[in-house]
Amino acid sequence: MLMKATVNGSDVKTAGITLHNLQKRYGNAMAVDDVSLSVSPGEFISLLGPSGSGKTTTLMMIAGFEMPDSGRVLLGDKDITRLPPHRRELGVIFQNYALFPHMTVVENVAYPLRMRRMAKAEIETRVHRILDQVHLGALASRYPHQMSGGQQQRVAIARALVFDPPVLLLDEPLGALDKKLREHLRNEIKTLHKDVGKTMIYVTHDQDEALAMSDRVAVMHEGRIRQVSAPKDIYRRPADLFVAGFVGEVNLIPVKLKSGIVHGPAGESLPSPPWQDADRDATLCVRPEHLRLEASAGSSGGIQGRISGMTFVGDATVLEFRSETGLQLRSKVLNVSDHSMEVGDPCVASWVANDATILTD
Amino acid sequence: MAGTMSSMAIKGRAQSSRPWPTPWAWLLLPGSVFLVVLFVVPLTGLLLLAFGMPNWTLANFSRIGDTPVYLTVMRNTLEISVTVTALAFVLSYPIAYALTTGGMVLRTFLLIGVVLPYFTSTLARTFAWIVLLGRNGVVNQFLLELGWVSQPIPLLYNRFGVILGMTHIVMPMMILPMYTVMSSIDPKLMRAARANGASPLAAFLTIFLPLSLPGLIAGVLLVFIYCLGFYITPALMGGLSDVMITMAISSQILEQLNWNFGAALSVVLLLAVLSLLWVGSRFFPIEQLLGFSDGKLGSSVTRRQIGAKMLMRIGSAANALDRWLPSMRGRGVPILASFLAVLLLLPVLIVAYLSFSASSYFVFPLPGYSLRNYEAFLFDTLWVRATFTSIRIALMAVAMATALGAMLAFGLSRGAMPGRGTMIALLLSPIIMPTVIVAVATYFLLARWGLQGTEFGLALGHAVHAIPYVVVIVVANLRDLNPSYERAARSLGAGPWATMRTIVAPLVLPALIVASFFAFLASFDDVVYVLFLGIGKITTLPMRMWEGIRQDISPTIAAVATLQMLLATIVIVVGTLLRRQKKT
Repeated sequence: MLMKATVNGSDVKTAGITLHNLQKRYGNAMAVDDVSLSVSPGEFISLLGPSGSGKTTTLMMIAGFEMPDSGRVLLGDKDITRLPPHRRELGVIFQNYALFPHMTVVENVAYPLRMRRMAKAEIETRVHRILDQVHLGALASRYPHQMSGGQQQRVAIARALVFDPPVLLLDEPLGALDKKLREHLRNEIKTLHKDVGKTMIYVTHDQDEALAMSDRVAVMHEGRIRQVSAPKDIYRRPADLFVAGFVGEVNLIPVKLKSGIVHGPAGESLPSPPWQDADRDATLCVRPEHLRLEASAGSSGGIQGRISGMTFVGDATVLEFRSETGLQLRSKVLNVSDHSMEVGDPCVASWVANDATILTD
Repeated sequence: MAGTMSSMAIKGRAQSSRPWPTPWAWLLLPGSVFLVVLFVVPLTGLLLLAFGMPNWTLANFSRIGDTPVYLTVMRNTLEISVTVTALAFVLSYPIAYALTTGGMVLRTFLLIGVVLPYFTSTLARTFAWIVLLGRNGVVNQFLLELGWVSQPIPLLYNRFGVILGMTHIVMPMMILPMYTVMSSIDPKLMRAARANGASPLAAFLTIFLPLSLPGLIAGVLLVFIYCLGFYITPALMGGLSDVMITMAISSQILEQLNWNFGAALSVVLLLAVLSLLWVGSRFFPIEQLLGFSDGKLGSSVTRRQIGAKMLMRIGSAANALDRWLPSMRGRGVPILASFLAVLLLLPVLIVAYLSFSASSYFVFPLPGYSLRNYEAFLFDTLWVRATFTSIRIALMAVAMATALGAMLAFGLSRGAMPGRGTMIALLLSPIIMPTVIVAVATYFLLARWGLQGTEFGLALGHAVHAIPYVVVIVVANLRDLNPSYERAARSLGAGPWATMRTIVAPLVLPALIVASFFAFLASFDDVVYVLFLGIGKITTLPMRMWEGIRQDISPTIAAVATLQMLLATIVIVVGTLLRRQKKT
């Protein structure tokens, strides 16, 4: 079922993607292990994970370049699992763009339309319309190697969109570029998503990219999806230790959960959100910017220790903290006002109860 | 970056743990069958023949050991091969070094000096030396003129002539693998050594030399093997006391018609080559030089350490000596290299010059210019017929080699299957194995099918010889052909066939053209296969040159040799142009 959504007052062809229990095995290694995911029409979702987490394999199964061993891929409500890639009508933007080196910009962008045996005049209007849209009209007769990285990305986008696919798949398109350009192009893709309203599935290993661009982020590890949530929840409510450690910096405090109270390494009670389960060992996660180092303990408790280091990083200062039991923690404080802490000062580390997350895996 | 790595890691995993052949790998089938039938089977047959099949015996081998003549032949072969390899090594290193480190102009010049002779037929280059070194040759004319000698000195048909000619011919073969490895050395390493207090000489000894060692080993090995199986130049330039094993083989097979004994001699040569290759492969994966760089260099690291330690000691000693060493300000090597490159080019250039002579003798300098040698070539029906025979055979060989080689290349670069390493070894052996042995073995096989002395049979032999060139060139090109182009095409709506037509074919075509040009050249310049497979019935252009050189050294041959050189130049230029076009 293709949906017609309305963006900027015009109809847009878009569709959702659903993955049902996808599995892909290479020899003995599970590349993708029971991945299920439902992407709504017009949504921007990122598959985020380290090398070998199965994110690219998952994307390639959606695109049709890899066959899943089991499971299904749905476009809208149509099963496309066994459809060859050229019949899937999905736009794909490849790593390094894969612009055809022997074709000019126009020829590259016209390629999908020629493959669809569209009339010449129609091809010409469509190609020029989309080239104007991405501000490349003037470079139409250039070859890919004569263009900058940013221009190449726009050609790749134009080529993937010119046949009006309902979904756009992006395989680390910014992977090979330098940091400044990445940030610029990231915004361009984000704006593009707003303008065209297509469903976008974006593979990346860069957490900043994923958090900044996505409606939802699916964090993958060892072939499995560990968590699918809005960027804010991925960051603030990680589902497990892997997600907590992979997305952003985190302090991990080993704790004991006992009759409703969280006990720290030295047995002290610590601030934490309420939890329902039975007594057990667990890990408490606190982001450095949530960790406060103060001269005396507040009412909800904290960990006793000293400041063991201090690093100025421009907008913020990173304070190293060492507890009496030897636990190392980091606190990040924005440099909005001078603070009077010195290395060696005794202090108490604490946080607002709701800023911490209890993980029991 | 990490994303590339993740997809690569997955791919690597897929290749190592998937024992069954992938669809691409099936493309290897036709070519491998062809090579097994026309290369492996004949070599096996040769082995059986040497052991007297069907009356098994070791008599042929004991005869080699019992006959002093053959022991002398073995000694000659070894002496000449060792001398030539050593000379070629010493003379090649400066050229390879300058080729790597020199400026644009120097590098272009040196590359021409290496590549042009490399692709000019061995026959033409040998002919050039015969013209230069003969009793009334250019060199003797010079020496007489200068008054340094009172009568012509014998430079040809003796050990001196053979070694000079062979060294000249194998040098490009030594330089190219050296250059390949040297150019992969990061120049920053040398700067780092200098920054750490090494003098230029010490940096060279402790950094550059050890890192270039694999290339040196490979070059020495390939050249030594080539010398052991060298036929054309020793046969044409050697004296009666310089008989090498290939000449003994050819005389047993073609003149004495003693196939079993000839086969036994071939097996001795074959075993020598195989054991050398085995030893060599412990130090360096030889296939890497030919463009298959997926092997790891790591295996040889430990063995290299011993040598490296010694070099380190010499290097630090050199560093201490630095103050007392004379300084050439880094110009010594380029000057030496340029001089050597001129020597590499000179023989063929002199023959080209002499081909325009108005006289029917080789006189230097020319008494007058004329095209009479070219006219003699063009208006002689025998020469013209030989040329057309060569073209016919070459076209047949090119068609087979290009089709099969391209499929093999695709299968190798894209497919995964068990025994891929063996496959590569099999593919490359036809150019590493001595041509004489392969030709003899193929001759026995074709004789069984009644294809000896037919143009098709000869073309089959040439195709086996040309396939490795095609594979190497196409594989190198396919490495640049990113599979994501094909994926992009598929995602944009192109079916498998349309992807092939619009993306793969246009991107691979230049390489295929270059490959078929080189395959053509390999067939067009060959004389060894013709000698054995043609059984006197087929006269190709090189065959006619060969006969001409053995009978009278007519100046018409100079014209033909010059035309051959011109053909090589055209092939090189076309190859370079197509490669450049691909980049723009």
